[in-house]
Amino acid sequence: MAAYFRPTTLEEALAVRAAQPVTVLAGGTDVYPIRANKVGWGDMHRDDVLDISAIAELKEIEQTADRLRFGALTTWSQMRRADLPEAFAGYQAASRDVGGVQVQNRGTLVGNICTASPAGDGIPCLLSLDAEIELASARGRRTVPIQDFITGYRQTVCGHDELVTAILIPRPPAGAVGDFLKLGARRYLVISIAMVAAVIAADDTGVIHHASVAVGACSEVAKRLHDLEAALLGQPLASAPDLIEHAHFAALKPIGDLRASGHYRDSAARDLVRDLFVRLSAEPKRRAA
Amino acid sequence: MPKVSMTVNGQAVSADVEARTLLVDFIREQLRLTGTHVGCDTSQCGACVVHVDGRALKSCTTLAAQCEGASVTTIEGLAKGDDLHPMQEAFRENHGLQCGFCTPGMIMSAVDMVKRHGGKLDEQTIRHELEGNLCRCTGYHNIVKAIAAGSEAMTSSGRVAAE
Repeated sequence: MAAYFRPTTLEEALAVRAAQPVTVLAGGTDVYPIRANKVGWGDMHRDDVLDISAIAELKEIEQTADRLRFGALTTWSQMRRADLPEAFAGYQAASRDVGGVQVQNRGTLVGNICTASPAGDGIPCLLSLDAEIELASARGRRTVPIQDFITGYRQTVCGHDELVTAILIPRPPAGAVGDFLKLGARRYLVISIAMVAAVIAADDTGVIHHASVAVGACSEVAKRLHDLEAALLGQPLASAPDLIEHAHFAALKPIGDLRASGHYRDSAARDLVRDLFVRLSAEPKRRAA
Repeated sequence: MPKVSMTVNGQAVSADVEARTLLVDFIREQLRLTGTHVGCDTSQCGACVVHVDGRALKSCTTLAAQCEGASVTTIEGLAKGDDLHPMQEAFRENHGLQCGFCTPGMIMSAVDMVKRHGGKLDEQTIRHELEGNLCRCTGYHNIVKAIAAGSEAMTSSGRVAAE
């Protein structure tokens, strides 16, 4: 029978993590459904359980002058309700559409990236915000940029003795506005066919001086579209929807699966980016979701 | 086996449970409170929604051991003796159920919804918020009407305390 550990300090948790293979449990919204499905994330019948949900120091959202720090237990509901800069509007929009209210009350932002599904809604948002992931082990702490944290299909660099302790996001540039769009067969309770997150900042004359755009579910790991970002810099925000070219999407390698064909995803990704730019370039009043 | 202690519908309960015991199994098998249903076992259908420390969650997505020290409310905890909770009454009045299997979860989600929105619920909000609850009879039309009516009844009876 599996042992169950519920430490109240990070130090104790790291000692347990280093001592044996464990299924790490936070909100649990990906771990429990495996009882009815194939083993994907962990096996509570075989592995011991390390429940980190009682570690108070992992629950906080901290805002300082230069960055924001989301503790590993920050839930989608906390994210949705937090008072954050406008660049986070996309991440907050994604938080409203993950699962349903009851899942948002339990599921965590960090669990979403540790599951590392190609269709994880939080991942393009984090890419667009230049997030870094903080990991801790008995050996010490390190931070890894989000694009290096996820290495492949459900693969991350998190070591067997490590726990993710926080998401770190540098304070976005002045005037930066974020947005997020996803496409699914229905709006709710579906896995995304494709999604896009962007953070764009324009100066007083409407000229773009910061652009980050990321697409998810169209490659093994969500990707930033650096060529598209470069094409946007120095251009008027109003022209953004017209600056999109097919070549900007070369980094994506969409596959066909039961939800959509690769060809469909390829064209859906372009349409989603265009729709998102139209929203971002509209008057703020009309952009309100 | 871990020992868990929690308050369920105002009563202190305590038991030794296997670590992997889900909250819904603890409630149904150990406490014999079978009003909380298991529909899909994959956190989609919402028949198992209960309140833990004032927040709605799916009890098939929570270990009993994770609720150590928590205050849990199930569908059985809403009525006061023979007096139905206004939301239960509204479901009865508006025929907000057909087979009834999803009803406990619908009502628990509805009460949580009203508490969070302070009793101001329009149809669009209700439909959006019901995304985590499925009715296989597809009786949503009357469920939405029932929640709107229950929301008004909860407000006028002073049972809405915003977070």
